[in-house]
Amino acid sequence: MNQHIEAAQLDGQTITAGSAAPCAARFEAVTKDYRLDKVKVRALTEVSCTILAGTTTFITGPSGSGKSTFLNILGLVDRPDAGRLELFGADVTGLGDAAAADFRARNIGFIFQSFNLIPVLSLRENVEFPLLRQPMSGRARRDRAAAYLEAVGLGGLMDRRPGEISGGQRQRVAVARALAPEPRLIVADEPTANLDTRTSREIVALLARMQAEFNTTVVICTHETQLIPPHSPVIEIIDGRVV
Amino acid sequence: MIWKIAFRNLVKNARRSVTTALAIGVGGLAALLLGGFVTSIWYGVQTSMIQDQGNLQIYRNGYLEFGAANPEAYTIPDWQAAIDVIRADAALAAEIAVITPRIDLSGVAGNAATGNSKTFIGQGVVAADLAKMRQWDGWNIGEAGLPTGLPEDPASEEVVVGLGMARMLGVCEALAVPDCKDAPEAGAGREADPSAAEYTGLVAGDADLAGITAGGTGQPQLNLMAATTEGVPNIIAVRIAAAKAQAVRALDNAFVLLPFDQARALVFDGSPEATTIMVQIQDPDRADAVKARIQTLLGEAGMDLSAYHFTEVDPTFTRIFGMFAFIFAVVSAVLALVIVFTIFNTVSMTVVERVKEIGTIRAMGFRRGFVGRLFLAESALTGLFGAALALALGVGLSRMVNSAGVQWTPPSNATPLTVRLMVLENPTFAISVLLFLVVIAVLAAVLPTFRAARLNIVQSLQRG
Repeated sequence: MNQHIEAAQLDGQTITAGSAAPCAARFEAVTKDYRLDKVKVRALTEVSCTILAGTTTFITGPSGSGKSTFLNILGLVDRPDAGRLELFGADVTGLGDAAAADFRARNIGFIFQSFNLIPVLSLRENVEFPLLRQPMSGRARRDRAAAYLEAVGLGGLMDRRPGEISGGQRQRVAVARALAPEPRLIVADEPTANLDTRTSREIVALLARMQAEFNTTVVICTHETQLIPPHSPVIEIIDGRVV
Repeated sequence: MIWKIAFRNLVKNARRSVTTALAIGVGGLAALLLGGFVTSIWYGVQTSMIQDQGNLQIYRNGYLEFGAANPEAYTIPDWQAAIDVIRADAALAAEIAVITPRIDLSGVAGNAATGNSKTFIGQGVVAADLAKMRQWDGWNIGEAGLPTGLPEDPASEEVVVGLGMARMLGVCEALAVPDCKDAPEAGAGREADPSAAEYTGLVAGDADLAGITAGGTGQPQLNLMAATTEGVPNIIAVRIAAAKAQAVRALDNAFVLLPFDQARALVFDGSPEATTIMVQIQDPDRADAVKARIQTLLGEAGMDLSAYHFTEVDPTFTRIFGMFAFIFAVVSAVLALVIVFTIFNTVSMTVVERVKEIGTIRAMGFRRGFVGRLFLAESALTGLFGAALALALGVGLSRMVNSAGVQWTPPSNATPLTVRLMVLENPTFAISVLLFLVVIAVLAAVLPTFRAARLNIVQSLQRG
């Protein structure tokens, strides 16, 4: 299903970093400052790391450590002030707004802490929504949305609205929505923060299963370390530095 | 999908959407009704004027500029020859409804019985032609003119005077005119005006008019004195058939409408002259083409005459319509401003409420333009609903008003017109107003939409 990875490997454009697996993302001395009123706050300090393709990588750290900033830069919704970012072998550091949007549409899926589903759309329409950026017919979009909802176990609730289902189900829809455009990378920011422990484990398990099934790269930011399966790649960020 | 989201968001915020659509609808309704009224003025006042003057008038060159000072020098020398030239043209045969001469004259009018005399402004017309002109309804608005009051017999000696003229001559009672009271000093007890007596006596010497001055018909007698083209004083005696109000008080106090042959006998002494030739056209929208053709024919015939649109001769209509068009423009501008503020406010609120959704959409890879289209579509739909509301209310209310038969008298008219709010009768105008509402709804949303599209994605996602 994930043709991007195959294409990238065939082109020989993937970068490996100390592993046989291709490199999904490479941070090189990435620094990011924020302005809080008149005070400049450093969120990331010369962060360098590599995320391997086809893995589920966890980003951990205490609140305010810079996890979300790391994820925002990885997801191309924010830009580093200094340093360099490579995604699937392409230097994306200086992409303009439109080019970054196009890159995100083709390569990156997002899962948010509070699901961020569009309330006026049905579950199927929510999953279908990001496919509007794909060159697909309406019917193909609907079919693919239905297939991904089936994959996350919500095939029977397609016509419901987000307000009519539970938090866990909403996050499943968000997972389906992130997967539907078949991106190379899925970025999940605290996807379990609003869920109870049991549902949180289900969502993490679902993400792991989907990652394996669709051979995509998943990066999950979480402060709930108990949810991280053993032997998973983990990047820990404290005070804006990778430790 | 954009329209689906837009529509569902409007439904979701139903109260706000209805309020905004109502503001647009009421603004549009006001514009439609006022525009419908201005449209009715456009057609109604023009119809009244065309019924009286024709669409076109032919004058001798220079008359409009200098004729008032020396009318005798600017008369049409042979009106029949000019009409024959026009009538002979096959292309114009189907276009022209009425073509008829008119003599404009002035002089002194006197009534021997009351001893009153007064200067008059007169028009000599072919009564049958004028009666036909009064029936003209080129735009099918159902506004037939009032009867002229003149008998259609060309040899008739009856005239119609203005209401003010009747009052000043002291003939209201004799004519049994409602709302017309003779001046207290007028009447049988008053000493006769010596000048009136003088030219009444002149007429009395004419054997043919003796019966009239004797008052054999029971109608008030009127003596009209004017100078002929040679400058010789001439006088005729006629009977007053009716008194009819005129639009302007000064004219009402001096107006005399008399048969063409009587006017001709009074000022032209039987020569084939006329002041103007009035041309009424079947299709008013063909006026310019007919005018050009007439001008060509007159030029080819070597006649020193020109055709004018009635608005060129008398700017009253242009001024009246200009005034109402200006009022309409001002009211529309105010309404547009209200609509703009309402929409701006609504979209701004919507944007604030949906900042997180905007961030999510942008994160999913949609460009700023998509976010803009999302909100503009919502505004366009609101504008459409408002426009539909305005149209429905406009049609309903205009029908109610039109069926009530309310009347008003425009500044140019002596008689009232029935108020007709022409909303659907002028589809171009109605469609323009509706389009204007939608466009203004979209334009009003541009700034808040632009701001929404420019929102920082990270900050948007952190909201709420």
